[in-house]
Amino acid sequence: MPEQSPKTNNIPAVSVRDLTVVYGSNRILDQVSFEVSQGSVAAIIGPNGSGKTTAVRAILGLIPKNSGRVHLLGKHVHSVRTLIGYVPQRFEFDHDFPMTVGEYMDMARRLRCSRHFRPEIIPKKIKEVGLREDILSANLGELSGGQLQRVLIAQAIINDPAILFLDEPTTGIDISGEASLYGIIEHLNRVHNTTVIMVTHDISVISNVVDTVICLNRKMLCYGPPKTALTERKLNELFGKRSGIYEHRH
Amino acid sequence: MDFLEMIGQPFMQRALLAGMVLGGLLAGLGIFVTLRKMAFFGDGIAHSSLAGISLAILLGWSPLPVALAWALMVALVIWWLEKSVRLPSDTLIGIFFTASMAVGILVISRTEGYQPEIISYLFGNILSVGKGDLAVILTLSAAIAAWLAISFRRLTFMSLTEESAAVAGIRIRLHSALLYVALALTTVLGVKAFGIILVSALLILPAATSRLLTRNFRSYIVVSLILSQITVLTGLALSCRMDLPSGAAIVAVGTALFFLGAMAKKLWK
Repeated sequence: MPEQSPKTNNIPAVSVRDLTVVYGSNRILDQVSFEVSQGSVAAIIGPNGSGKTTAVRAILGLIPKNSGRVHLLGKHVHSVRTLIGYVPQRFEFDHDFPMTVGEYMDMARRLRCSRHFRPEIIPKKIKEVGLREDILSANLGELSGGQLQRVLIAQAIINDPAILFLDEPTTGIDISGEASLYGIIEHLNRVHNTTVIMVTHDISVISNVVDTVICLNRKMLCYGPPKTALTERKLNELFGKRSGIYEHRH
Repeated sequence: MDFLEMIGQPFMQRALLAGMVLGGLLAGLGIFVTLRKMAFFGDGIAHSSLAGISLAILLGWSPLPVALAWALMVALVIWWLEKSVRLPSDTLIGIFFTASMAVGILVISRTEGYQPEIISYLFGNILSVGKGDLAVILTLSAAIAAWLAISFRRLTFMSLTEESAAVAGIRIRLHSALLYVALALTTVLGVKAFGIILVSALLILPAATSRLLTRNFRSYIVVSLILSQITVLTGLALSCRMDLPSGAAIVAVGTALFFLGAMAKKLWK
């Protein structure tokens, strides 16, 4: 049987209390607090340099926090590692490195999954992110930006994580690719009840996909359902004139 | 003397065994050296070992253990400084490479008379691998190979996507430190056989040539290991047949294979 996330519906998937991260004299995050419920989709938005990626990295324990508490499914991140999937903002690798998609996925399966996850899970996950099975024999360096992003998501969900973190998942992807990617996020959330937390600057689609929005600019400026949290005043405060691109689709 | 005749001699058997074991291990580690773009590391560690070798000769000790200890210290200090002072590893390697060379030269200048052993370590002499050296080479190589086999997937995954690997629970700092230690020890073991100046070629050439010829990771590993064995065996055979310095002959064969690989890739494209 695959590993199960704790059946703790009252416990939030992510709970952040007074998270503060300081680099030298630069306060990147200042007492940020929010919660994301299990089975929901949340977006962390904000302008460049607002601390979005730092927040995710601090939540995942990739960088030290100066103060604050972070719990995933009510526990410390180290004790729920097998229940987390993560797609970082950048995947910088040598494009000529000889490794096929199948080999990369199998390596992730062997490292991240319990032995109950048989190799058959690989084509299943590849199809789930909208790719054809024959891509498994392609070299990683031959993939387009959109294909690579989907392979990275397939790798991140290989162990059926309870929480999936995506850092700027649409970077370098064209408009049709973006739409398809949001379709994958909705599918994972709807079919597997995966909690998805994504960092994005793409506020135009948030109201269609996201249950909770967290607006960051070092401090938390707004938090809640997009319809109520993303007021014109908050968006102007967050992005200035850039907020004009936002279209409320409710 | 013919190569096949020489194989009957104990010194040649020791040379073959040391060369094949070290060639294979260096090729295996070379996969991570090329993937993590740390080709300079092997060169830096090899040159750093001059300080340890010179100190041992000055004190009348056995050079190999002292060189191993020195290289281990340099590798761990580079690993620690990378995270602590946030300088790129090639800058730190450059500093320790030259500093250790300077220490080595200063110590040599204080050693009386001509020191043939230092020349032998500079250019390598695989035929001079003694029983004691072979025991150290085989013991340490077995330990490093066992660790490499156990950690291979973790090392590959973290070399490709360090943050995803950290989230998956792989202890990045620990595995990086162990990789540095393995590289330092294997490089210094290779110094005795291939020389300070030439050993890093065995770390880079088989992996680089294999990369030109292969499309998937499994064949990349297998071809790297096969090329390392062809390089060592052909180099040693040439060295015996034509009375050439063994280390240089081995590296020349490895380089020739690299150019053949580059031409083959160009033709197949």
